[in-house]
Amino acid sequence: MTQRQSQKDLSSVAVAVTGLGAVSACGWGIAPLWQGLSRGETMVSQPQKFETSDQRTRLVAEVAAPDAEWRQLFAEDSTVTRADGFALFAAREAMAQAGLDLPMPDLGVFFGGSTAGMAEAEAFYGHLVDGKIGGARLRLVAGHPINSPGDAVARHVGAMGPVVTLSSACASGALAFGAALDALRVGEVEVALAGGADSLCRLTYAGFNSLRAVDSDPCRPFRQGRQGLSMGEGAGVVVLETLQHAMARRAPILGWLVGAGSSCDAHHMTAPHPQGRGAAEAIRSALADGSIDASAVSFINAHGTGTPHNDISEWRAIGSVFGKRAEHLPVTSTKGVIGHLLGSSGAIEAVATLLCLQHRSVHPTPGAGEIDGEMEVDLVTDAPRQIAADSRAVSTSFAFGGSNAALVFASPGSRVEGRQ
Amino acid sequence: MSDGAAASEGTAVDDGAGIRPVVISGLGWVGAAGCGRQALTEALGDGRVVTSRVEDLDSYGRQHAGPRHSLDYPGGRLAHLAAAQDLSPWLHPRKARRMSQPSKFAVAAAHMACTDASLDVASGAGNMAVVLATNFGPSSFTEGILEQIYTESPEAVSPFLFTESVANAPTAQVALALGATGPNITVTQREAGCLLALGRAAREIENGRAEVALVLAVDEMTALLHRVLNRFGALARARGGEEMARPFDLRRNGTLAAEGACALVMESAAHCERRGGLPLARLRAQVAAFDPTAPSAGWGRRPEALEQRLRQGLRSQGVVVDSIDRIVSGAGGHRHGDWVEAKLLRALWGEAALPPVLVPKATVGDYAGGFLAAAVLAASGVPFASTPGFQQRDPDLGIVPHDGSPSAPPRRLLVSTLGVGGSAAWMVLEP
Repeated sequence: MTQRQSQKDLSSVAVAVTGLGAVSACGWGIAPLWQGLSRGETMVSQPQKFETSDQRTRLVAEVAAPDAEWRQLFAEDSTVTRADGFALFAAREAMAQAGLDLPMPDLGVFFGGSTAGMAEAEAFYGHLVDGKIGGARLRLVAGHPINSPGDAVARHVGAMGPVVTLSSACASGALAFGAALDALRVGEVEVALAGGADSLCRLTYAGFNSLRAVDSDPCRPFRQGRQGLSMGEGAGVVVLETLQHAMARRAPILGWLVGAGSSCDAHHMTAPHPQGRGAAEAIRSALADGSIDASAVSFINAHGTGTPHNDISEWRAIGSVFGKRAEHLPVTSTKGVIGHLLGSSGAIEAVATLLCLQHRSVHPTPGAGEIDGEMEVDLVTDAPRQIAADSRAVSTSFAFGGSNAALVFASPGSRVEGRQ
Repeated sequence: MSDGAAASEGTAVDDGAGIRPVVISGLGWVGAAGCGRQALTEALGDGRVVTSRVEDLDSYGRQHAGPRHSLDYPGGRLAHLAAAQDLSPWLHPRKARRMSQPSKFAVAAAHMACTDASLDVASGAGNMAVVLATNFGPSSFTEGILEQIYTESPEAVSPFLFTESVANAPTAQVALALGATGPNITVTQREAGCLLALGRAAREIENGRAEVALVLAVDEMTALLHRVLNRFGALARARGGEEMARPFDLRRNGTLAAEGACALVMESAAHCERRGGLPLARLRAQVAAFDPTAPSAGWGRRPEALEQRLRQGLRSQGVVVDSIDRIVSGAGGHRHGDWVEAKLLRALWGEAALPPVLVPKATVGDYAGGFLAAAVLAASGVPFASTPGFQQRDPDLGIVPHDGSPSAPPRRLLVSTLGVGGSAAWMVLEP
């Protein structure tokens, strides 16, 4: 552990990204995720395993069954929930790419999530209600606490640094990245995993349907006639390191986490502020945190749920921060491809943003229909959009209760303040 | 040995090391013994444990279960610490109608804390940060939704129940009630969450993202949750006597589950001084760690490794263990959890005698932030009664908690909490 940094030094500590991991409806791993994002085709479809026949809508972006190795993991430990499994896979993949060996006692783990083992807890509850008490085994609720995926990862990698799970609904994953950034800047840790994992469950699916917030077709972010979100599941995890730590072990630099910001609308429990007031403040705060001028931003990975209110509010927030330039600023929505991963959406969208920067290519946003005429948004559609090798991007996450978070990332080859 | 290595380095960085100092200047509390700072002060001073009986579980198919019901209480153990229900002085019943129980607790405690700090939020709290910790979130609303799904249909789910069932609903309700537009963050890291939330809020202030933060810890206790905790072996059993937490006692066998909320106003020392606020405590250091040997529903086997993390963390922030003259322990009466806590504290002090060990969970129970509120009051010099339930020293632990004898006001406190699942967090507070 290093001597804690003083306030004046905080913003000068560059934080490198050295490993990426993901599980999504595109598949288990980063490679299928990037292939799916590049194709720009939606993975939202009729589920194979998740039961929606008694729900108002039917479609989700479901993760397919894991390969044999991962099936074995689930079979060996009955307390590992589906969300835990996603988290473990993504964490292992990220650490392997970063070249980090296990165990890693000096590691910190910063996770965001919202459902954790709810799907398994639902089975417990179902047995209870049906009077089938024998089926209501405690192992089904052992992974119910929201900290379960983050703890499972920490346990697996032998982490002994800080382990923190944040659960601010759909902003959780991005807020976890912000917490990790702070911990690295002040010297609490030199290397951290930041991420999130969530699995589909009946409670959230029925809940969003009760709000009439789920599109019966695959979601159509920023399009005319959009009807709501499509729910997904999976995990996104990155390895974050201080530059000093990464250089000392000659780790590959895959990008930079430059800044993080957050805010609250304090406006309504579910509806975003109509002018995107809080969302704009979160973006400004993230840019200021990373000492980045708005003019240096190359693209935005939007929260872009596809709900009528969110998208227009977000567009107004973008307009408020970027002014006239907003109309020419490429915007994409990862949710269009892999659905809305709720508490882990900010984490996997951070991974998607970093992949775009790494490949110098902004992935397209699928969805039927024309772009909503109320928005002058430059939505990337049909084909990937090329960007420069020295680019910066903003990833946004907005949540129930008005909690907003924004992250700023930079390309691997960027000149980042504090990097030298 | 005590912290000889750190002591030999001197205390040259023992002045805050450039980090913007933060203080706690207001406290609100909703708990079994009442509401507000005074009610908690009196409960801690009297060592009064106010328990209630948990409701029965008839709605969950007991009629089919017979004697093998997996959630039955053998021996009729039903005690918990139910929070005071009359929140109307701080929360208008009309507004409370649209809130879950944790949201009600949190908003009421938030108003109390702001009043206690003489903080004027009538015209909006500005960029105040709100950071809230919860173990279980709004459990009754989650259960309500599941009941709708499983006994009616998914289409029967109430949108109101859904929006208030998310873990961050109380955090959002506090922001709405106060007009707080700063960072809005919910921490879910079991028993370590309350100190992690305090640390998170401190970072928001230290980094200049907010001048003021509200730090909250909130939980509700439902009949089902209580029974599940009981089945995991977490709760105190009567064994022919009273159901008591008995932290560090030889006969300890579980904790007392509590519900309610704690709210703290945290601000930069400069901000507090400018507005004429009176600090209750100053945050001097924060450390967090994890024991990967812990199972998901228990504690780990490596207290010495946690102790090393704590020692390193304190040293890096210029805190010498010898300078700590009070411990506020998060021991809750768990058989193994208290063992880990005791071994950790004993290792930290080595051959030296431990300073007085306050164990507020013996009075306020586990969860819901009573522990956090009590720690701040301890830092402000509030006297504690002898530790309820402690009668017989456990020779393996070697810790005798505070016996009620008068002592000088503390100069520096270590606040310690170990969470189920392996997480751990510590704070150093000063008056």
